Amino acid sequence: MHDDLFRPTISEQPPPGKPPWRPESIVYPAFFGGPLAAATLGLLNGRRLALPTTHLVAIGAAGVAGFGARIAVGALTDGNSALRLAGTVCGLLVWLVVLSLQRRPFRVATLRGREPARLIGPGFAAAIGCGLFEALVLAVLVR
Amino acid sequence: MNATLHQAQALLATGRPEQALTQLSLLPANEVTGSYAMQLRCAALSQLDRWPEVGDAARAALAANGPDPDLLLWLGRAEHEAGRDRTAERAFLDGLALAPDDVDLLCAYADLCAADGQLDKADRLVELAAARAPQAPVVYATRIQLAHARGDNRTAQRISQEFVGVHPDNPVAHALLGGTSAARGHVDAAYEGFRQAAAARPTEQVFAESAMELRVARHPLMRPLRPILRFGAIKTWLVAVALIIGLRAAGLPALGGLLGLLWLVYCVYSWVVPPLVRKWVMRSWR
Repeated sequence: MHDDLFRPTISEQPPPGKPPWRPESIVYPAFFGGPLAAATLGLLNGRRLALPTTHLVAIGAAGVAGFGARIAVGALTDGNSALRLAGTVCGLLVWLVVLSLQRRPFRVATLRGREPARLIGPGFAAAIGCGLFEALVLAVLVR
Repeated sequence: MNATLHQAQALLATGRPEQALTQLSLLPANEVTGSYAMQLRCAALSQLDRWPEVGDAARAALAANGPDPDLLLWLGRAEHEAGRDRTAERAFLDGLALAPDDVDLLCAYADLCAADGQLDKADRLVELAAARAPQAPVVYATRIQLAHARGDNRTAQRISQEFVGVHPDNPVAHALLGGTSAARGHVDAAYEGFRQAAAARPTEQVFAESAMELRVARHPLMRPLRPILRFGAIKTWLVAVALIIGLRAAGLPALGGLLGLLWLVYCVYSWVVPPLVRKWVMRSWR
């Protein structure tokens, strides 16, 4: 009756690599750093969680789209505050994409007894690095 | 069952695995490797977190007694703990071939599948177990675990409440209600859950530690952080950002700026204060 349930389906697990970050925590670098910071951390964490390639592509595409939207805002409005705001909003939107794709794999990883890694260092690096990069590109393209 | 085994079982049920092991070592040589004595031994060793020895004991018992679903359950659990998931699966499936309705085996296999990311198969296995014994503690615990793995905190908490309602004396039920309430930011309910669990089983370190963590969360200095705990960082942030943007759009940039500054201070507070309070509370306990 339950033949298919009682068939072995467990595959050999690859040896655990680096421990993943809590996807919820990426909100902070996303807020301060913008869409590219969120996407960069999302991609790195996605590799740690061994996400399928389509999900990784989706995160990357969301990051590019978010940055594109920010450039569009910069081209259409003047004044720095709208541009800064667009960075925050797009960053949070990209982070929502990351969260929706990573929450479940992260919880499964913790079921397997893996402790999350600390995001403080990489988070600051991504927020500052990507934030500066975005500012630079925007300065060259729009201003 | 003889008196020694009874006593060992009673010791285990009250969370005193070391004494249970001593009791089991008093058994005569011909009974020491009996299936039930070895199961108690495995249970005691698992409570002490000595999983490699659980595996050794289960293997020795299987060699002495032949295939036995309960021993295969212990072997599978020990292999799962050791990270040898395929061997664990084989042990569970061998056990299920002998006893397809065994609720413990079904739930243990569901746990294994969930840890492998096969949540749908895990759900079907636990449904099968729930059809056999809908109110068994292990069925509740596994359903809660699966709901948590799906990211469904609300369902996890609902099942925990059901679990406590049906088994009000079960410390694990209270601990799970504590954990799932904490995940939803219900600090007081979470503390109550772990407090009751720790009171019912004072030897379990984890319950006491969690109760402790929640004592920290209930500290007066942590009160301002309740919104984050209750609604989650995500919703709190979105509301704050929406308010700041809204004020600017409404032509009140000064007010928006002030709110932004307050929000920044609040964020810093939420990063700095919790570790300090934790240190404080811990010191006053020692």
